[in-house]
Amino acid sequence: MGLLVGGAATLAGLSPPRADPGRGERVFQRCFACHSVAAGEDKLPGPNLRGVIGRRAGTLAAFRFSPALVAAGARGLVWTRETLDAYLADPSLFIPGTEMGLPGLRESDDRRDVIDFLERRTP
Amino acid sequence: MRRGLLALIVTLLCLPSPAAADVAVQAYALPPGGGPHDVAVGADGIVWYTAQRGGQLGRLDPATGKVDLISLGPTAAPHGVIIGPDGAPWVTEGGTNSIVRVDPHTREVKRWALPESRGYVNLNTATFDKRGRIWFTGQNGVYGRLDPATGAMQVWDAPRGRGPYGITTTPDGQVYYASLAGSHIARVDLDTGAATVIEPPTKDQGARRVWSDSRGRIWVSEWNSGNVSRYDPGTKAWKTWKLPGDRPRAYAVYVDARDKVWLSEWTANAMVRFDPETETFEAFPSDRRGANVRQILGRPGEVWAPESGADRLVVYRVK
Repeated sequence: MGLLVGGAATLAGLSPPRADPGRGERVFQRCFACHSVAAGEDKLPGPNLRGVIGRRAGTLAAFRFSPALVAAGARGLVWTRETLDAYLADPSLFIPGTEMGLPGLRESDDRRDVIDFLERRTP
Repeated sequence: MRRGLLALIVTLLCLPSPAAADVAVQAYALPPGGGPHDVAVGADGIVWYTAQRGGQLGRLDPATGKVDLISLGPTAAPHGVIIGPDGAPWVTEGGTNSIVRVDPHTREVKRWALPESRGYVNLNTATFDKRGRIWFTGQNGVYGRLDPATGAMQVWDAPRGRGPYGITTTPDGQVYYASLAGSHIARVDLDTGAATVIEPPTKDQGARRVWSDSRGRIWVSEWNSGNVSRYDPGTKAWKTWKLPGDRPRAYAVYVDARDKVWLSEWTANAMVRFDPETETFEAFPSDRRGANVRQILGRPGEVWAPESGADRLVVYRVK
């Protein structure tokens, strides 16, 4: 699954995953206030991101998503490297009405590395 | 259009009749894409707001609707803005992990960076105490204090880690903050910096923002529970009210000069005014979908709300 996703990312013009596990975790500090990747930590302001790769948007049972995220999931949005990259670049542009406060990760390296980090947390 | 300065005349919109006859509502359209997060109005009536997505501080003259944008740097993502005792806007600038002052006349941007050893703290909101020092929260689990006179800055770990969000100063100078992820409020010792956790009665309520009324009682907007609650430091007693509507979520809270409590409620996409004397709510729904008001501030007679999802500032003028 990881290879398939990585290949798709390259075809889509994204940078391939790179081997700096620490950097992705540092970038994740931008998300840390609201999100966790620890199993069972589900009372934060944002949804738990453990296993987010491959998950349909707005469907984690333990979290109350915005109507915009629920609607996006209902339309078929699934979190892949590509869709996460687009969302993280400008959340409000990709999903108008999202309640996520992050204004966006402007640098593609940051997005790639934090997606690497999240991918490693996908069982 | 001059470099670093975007000015435009905005459309002044009259909104549908508000719920209360004593309130006139007016919306100011802002340059699109800025994502106004927080707002503050000075004694001179000039309104400052953080254009978080644009990395800028905005300045609105309500008399003309003219908006100027001041760049805070290429990596800036400002979250909060307040007016300091010097009349200047002070910004919790999350993108550069720093406290920023913008001179209201020269537009000079002065920056106090947090210690590098702290890493990214996700700066949130700030308040001045009565000694000229600015206290701030970092949502990743810190709070801190800067003395602009000396440049001395201290940063402390929050008692329960991530969560510090809104922060306020009472009329007698005490500082309280709310912890969203930690679901509590805390009082800060102004000398030692130690924070004392104060537990609201509702479990996992998601205390997002705090504000003080004229008697030093702390009002809390509870995101998860949809409550507004009040803590009285004198008696240590809490009182809690549920906002109206189905599964409400209270994001921001502000207490106006008459001790009326204003909240933003996201499920109904409305501003809500609560009268503590009659214990009644009045709703002022936005005429834009997903207005997403993340903070409220005002001055006597005016309550300002940034609609982050609609790129507008809306003022509720109370007669």
